[in-house]
Amino acid sequence: MKKKFETPLWLKKIGIYLAVLGPGLITASADNDAPGIATYSMAGSIYKYKFLFIIMAVTIGEVVIQEIAARMGVVTGKGTADLIRERFGVKITALAMFSLLLANLGTTVAQIAGVAASGELFGVPRYISAPIAAVLVSLTVLRGSYKHIEKILLALSLVAISYIITVFMMKPNWGEVLRATFIPQFEMEPHFILAVLATIGATITPWGIFFMQSSVADKGLSLKDYPFTKFDVTFGAAWGNVVSAFVVISTAVTLYVAGIPVETAEDAAKALAPLAGNAASLLFSAGLLGASLLALSVLPLSTTYAFCEAFGFERGLNRRVSEAPAFYGIFAGIIVLSVLIVLIPGIPLFPIMWLSQTLNAFFLPILLYLVIKLSSSEKLMGSWKNTRLQNILAGGLTVFISLITVALFVAMFWNPAT
Amino acid sequence: MIYVSQLINQYVWDGYGGKIGRLEDILVNGTDKNLPPIVALVLKKNPLGVEIIPANQIASLWPSMTLKVGVDRIKPFHANGHELPLIDRVLDQQIVDTEGKRLVRVNDLQIARAGELFVLTGVDVSGAGLLRRLGLEKLGRFFVSTFSRSAKTAVIPWEFVASIEHDDPLRLSVAQNKLVKMPPADIAAIVDELDRQTYTALLEGFDNQVLADTLEESSPELQMSILSNMPPERAADILEEMDPDEAADLLADLPEQTSEALLELMEHDDAQEVRALLNYPEDTAGGIMTTEFAYVPEDLTAGQALDYLRNSEDAQDDEGMHYVHILDHNRCLRGVVTLRDLVMADPHSDLQQWVIAEESTVEPLTPQEDVAYLIAKYDLASIPVIDPETNVMLGIVTVDDAIDIVLPTAWKKRLPRLF
Repeated sequence: MKKKFETPLWLKKIGIYLAVLGPGLITASADNDAPGIATYSMAGSIYKYKFLFIIMAVTIGEVVIQEIAARMGVVTGKGTADLIRERFGVKITALAMFSLLLANLGTTVAQIAGVAASGELFGVPRYISAPIAAVLVSLTVLRGSYKHIEKILLALSLVAISYIITVFMMKPNWGEVLRATFIPQFEMEPHFILAVLATIGATITPWGIFFMQSSVADKGLSLKDYPFTKFDVTFGAAWGNVVSAFVVISTAVTLYVAGIPVETAEDAAKALAPLAGNAASLLFSAGLLGASLLALSVLPLSTTYAFCEAFGFERGLNRRVSEAPAFYGIFAGIIVLSVLIVLIPGIPLFPIMWLSQTLNAFFLPILLYLVIKLSSSEKLMGSWKNTRLQNILAGGLTVFISLITVALFVAMFWNPAT
Repeated sequence: MIYVSQLINQYVWDGYGGKIGRLEDILVNGTDKNLPPIVALVLKKNPLGVEIIPANQIASLWPSMTLKVGVDRIKPFHANGHELPLIDRVLDQQIVDTEGKRLVRVNDLQIARAGELFVLTGVDVSGAGLLRRLGLEKLGRFFVSTFSRSAKTAVIPWEFVASIEHDDPLRLSVAQNKLVKMPPADIAAIVDELDRQTYTALLEGFDNQVLADTLEESSPELQMSILSNMPPERAADILEEMDPDEAADLLADLPEQTSEALLELMEHDDAQEVRALLNYPEDTAGGIMTTEFAYVPEDLTAGQALDYLRNSEDAQDDEGMHYVHILDHNRCLRGVVTLRDLVMADPHSDLQQWVIAEESTVEPLTPQEDVAYLIAKYDLASIPVIDPETNVMLGIVTVDDAIDIVLPTAWKKRLPRLF
């Protein structure tokens, strides 16, 4: 019997990490999808560095919430929808699920708008690009070929790195950047507040919570591997938001200084001009397309699964349509409705992309409240329930978002012009 | 028929029409019975301080919950520790429908009056039940009339319900007793849908034979997950109970150290069989064959052959015996006889006359698709695998494994739940 090579401990640990890697990094990469890029480039071009503080604050919130979701997944082995149904009953489940459905519908619309916008940068009309993308994604997902494409799409989303490169090329005033990151500046003006809500909604997404918990639960990760999971979540969130911050800075140094507010995808692409010159549109479009398709492959299906699980409808891609009508119906419904909305004549694509994220922020407090209640329950989590600090941070986040929503309505009342 | 959704949070009244408090939960006992009786009502905090009311003091539950006596005459309730709170522990939880062989979520619970008692009759898993919980009963009735196809499977009688909770040993053992009556393939399908905590608790109580049968039908991920969470000695026992080809498939997917360790723990003969199978590539006849098949020596009569089989340990192991193989003293194949012919033959007739004229065989390295093709072409139940150099018979590939090549088993098409 030949002696086997003994893998050194550090190599083993990296191996475990790579196996566990996934949910954190994927969810965070999805932060820089079409709605995300739209939100951040708009914010940087109009408000310069003011949004850096918000991104920093929201990052802390994202790390806390995603860690809670991951921990619940590991400890209970179940998904968020299951837990909500089992602990809170049907009525609350209905509230949570419909909120999720609406928020995700909004985001799906935004993703398809992203595909359409990137197509239009090349003169492909939205009436062609949107339906084709929808059909292709549906077929890919329904036949289970997602895994093959995942790598390609993840590669396309690496385009986000070009924002980082652009920023370093433009040499911004780092002192000003750092000041803006740690000193909050707020404007009581409806557009600003909408943008704040959109930033929050683009970063901490309701579906991100469900996705994180389900992935972790499905991987069957054990409590002893949990430190790796925690690292994945933290690292993923931090990395994703670093990229977001760089998108803001890049549009600030290129477009804000030139007085160009980003109102269309074409405007947003100009932010990459220092790096790519005339190919800026190409680069931007590739990134937008990749991120949108990636999200489209994941989001509608995961929403459908969560919804059906919560209500006990027959579900699963290995069932026929006649066996699981609700499952296929909801999936088709989300996609078809999103395409129809994007194809409404004259509807401006870019505003859709970022405004949809405010929907996420509207529904977030409901979900956060339920998640906090579940994760601080000793009955459910045993000794792994939230620490006091986690409850304070998560609760604070919930209150913060609700206050901003209120501020929005107050601002709209005082400034009816917008 | 009374539904628990109609009772949740409603007021309980005493015998004189006075309000006592709102209903928090309903306790039943004897969940192993077909109609578990309600033993008590649990009330929410109320100014009168009444917490639990024994069921024998209930006059009616519907249209309103009233007691037989005044509030000052309510007798105390004596718990025996085995009560099951329906609303907290059964409503909205997942249960196994052992008749429909599926995992479903409880939307509502059905109660009926049986003489002096109120009993739990069944579980409502229908969409109508869901709507009733949301207070949309009329809409629910519309659904039932339109989609009446689902109405008959809507309420599952309690005797077919296996209610699993990983930290409740009593319910777990009742659930296990009901589940093991289901075919292993169905148990595996249900276990696949449960979360890890629950199925681990559930499978721990299964005996090794049932567990082995269930694992054989499960997906590789589930097999590995279950075996790795089990003490190695028990895992080795399970592997011994499994068919050697299934055990070999499972071990092939495990890291080498683990599979070596398990093989060491297994009984020597069983381990040898599995090791032999591990040598062949997965997608060949050798990779899918089993070494357990029924054989008899040459020169026997039909009657002698039957006696031989009854006393043969290898024949005992051959679970799906369709053919009897005649082997010479070198274990080379001399002929194949169908079991049907053997049983119907005159016991004194020479076995040789019943041998199938044209018999097909394959070699260990024959690709699995070719094996499946031959099985389909000649309508075989199994096909012998012969070593091309020594002509020794190594094993058989059975028709169910051939079908798996052509038509993947249900679990193979399933995507991870994270979607």
